[in-house]
Amino acid sequence: MASSSSSGLTFKLHPLVIVNISDHYTRVKSQLNLPPSLTSTSSAATSNNNNNNSNGGENNQQKPPRVYGCVIGVQRGRTVEIFNSFELIYDPSTRSLDRSFLEKKQELYKKVFPHFYVLGWYSTGSDAQESDMHFHKALMDINESPLYVLLNPAINPAQKDLPVTIYESELHVIDGVPQLIFVRSSYTIETVEAERISVDHVAHLKPSGGSAATQLAAQLTGIHSAIKMLNSRIRVVHQYLVGMQKGDIPCESSLLRQVSSLLRRLPAIESEKFQDDLLMEYKDTLLITYLAMFTNCSSTMNELVDKFNTAYDRHSRRGGRTAFI
Amino acid sequence: MDSAIAQKTWELENNILAVEAPNPSSDFIFYYDEVAQAMSLKAKPWGNDPHFFKRVKISALALLKMVIHARSGGTIEVMGLMQGKTGGDAIIVMDAFALPVEGTETRVNAQADAYEYMVDYSQTNKQAGRLENVVGWYHSHPGYGCWLSGIDVSTQMLNQQFQEPFLAVVIDPTRTVSAGKVDIGAFRTYPEGYKPTDDPISEYQTIPLNKIEDFGVHCKQYYALNITYFKSSLDCHLLDLLWNKYWVNTLSSSPLLGNGDYVAGQLSDLGISFLCT
Repeated sequence: MASSSSSGLTFKLHPLVIVNISDHYTRVKSQLNLPPSLTSTSSAATSNNNNNNSNGGENNQQKPPRVYGCVIGVQRGRTVEIFNSFELIYDPSTRSLDRSFLEKKQELYKKVFPHFYVLGWYSTGSDAQESDMHFHKALMDINESPLYVLLNPAINPAQKDLPVTIYESELHVIDGVPQLIFVRSSYTIETVEAERISVDHVAHLKPSGGSAATQLAAQLTGIHSAIKMLNSRIRVVHQYLVGMQKGDIPCESSLLRQVSSLLRRLPAIESEKFQDDLLMEYKDTLLITYLAMFTNCSSTMNELVDKFNTAYDRHSRRGGRTAFI
Repeated sequence: MDSAIAQKTWELENNILAVEAPNPSSDFIFYYDEVAQAMSLKAKPWGNDPHFFKRVKISALALLKMVIHARSGGTIEVMGLMQGKTGGDAIIVMDAFALPVEGTETRVNAQADAYEYMVDYSQTNKQAGRLENVVGWYHSHPGYGCWLSGIDVSTQMLNQQFQEPFLAVVIDPTRTVSAGKVDIGAFRTYPEGYKPTDDPISEYQTIPLNKIEDFGVHCKQYYALNITYFKSSLDCHLLDLLWNKYWVNTLSSSPLLGNGDYVAGQLSDLGISFLCT
């Protein structure tokens, strides 16, 4: 069912959407697994929770619940950027979508984010199913070609890829009958600077506040890990190329072309204007650091002079009080 | 394993408290216990002690939403509300949402405009399965630090009289982006006439000259709470995987270019304060 999409749209997904969906899912899941005794301490509650899970009488605990919601964002030309999402009320047994709720929520979000509109819907699960098509069709009267964002909430520590897939719907002719089926599309993660910092902050749970030294250390660690990542990726490409040269790996010309185009881009920025701009920025930074150091020095000097005056001021010590200037 | 030893030394020197990795059983913080919350609302243990709440726990989602909203306002102050619950001496913030009002520095009761929006939003949320109540408000101070201005203090005092438990959070999106770490502060005001018994030393922050008066007059009327963050096990897993994608953005970010105005403003401020002394 999931072949690759041919619509030519590029998708950009913001991390906020992913955290939103995950939060929605966690909330619904924890409301269903009620910790029985609530007056006990947290450790007792978690052990009770574990007991509940192992007894596992209800269906809800064995099969994780599916949550549904709407994704909103902007579409500019061929680029679709998904910024935010909110929950929807949908009953899978009767297949009814609560329309008034959807409209109400849309209105509320329009007031705060006037540029965003409904781009599609999301759900959790491991794979796109046939029944999802009903929801998809229901949304088609708001947006002619909605997106379906699927998040797989199963935590698999061996997984290296984000368990999020974006599906589009396309009209294909199967056995002579034109049907809508889901086709997978690729997407990239797009962040605003502020988003990146807060995601980074929460991802690594850095100590908040603290002295300037710890903050500097934290930021440098971030950059260091990014550089390490770049280094490891380059190494992988290098190993691959060496393997191809030796003949261990079959030559793949499309990949070779990509690598050569990347390499050709490298010494691109050698022009004089770039050097001038770079040096100007460099000088600005150095100047500011110099100024900060200067201010520090002058304040220390000031303090020293004050202390000197207080300690060695012989003339006024006998008189009693002096006027402090 | 030198790196392991180095890490342990660093952790020891910086008093890093090991946060236990969230596992599915610790996600119970996400469970909203209506009965217990109603009981604690009736008991009101914060009524007698103005310094009752000492900590704030903010969820990853709430932090993300607040910072993005604050940054999207640019140089205009924006505000919103936070939803959550109380847990002992901590206020737990689970979610946040933006309010369609702008500019709180000149109007004391900007929240009155947003009441209808707030009621609608809370109702729809309860239907969709978010059962928490509004537990505070947040707003941004773009470029001038995290503290409560005179108007903020009077708004918060009013809130704490009628909408307890309530929390005030301030975010500075400009400093966040230029420093590379989230600049956030959580505050609660003391009631009128209350003198705090111990004077906690607050962290020094540079405040622009045109705001320093406002800061100084009111800085003793409120106290800051300790902020910690939490995330669910699924969040943890997803965020780790996300890192594989956005390390490129980390390298390609350039805080100098993005914050040219802010840096220039700070420098001119510095110049003026040099002239004054």
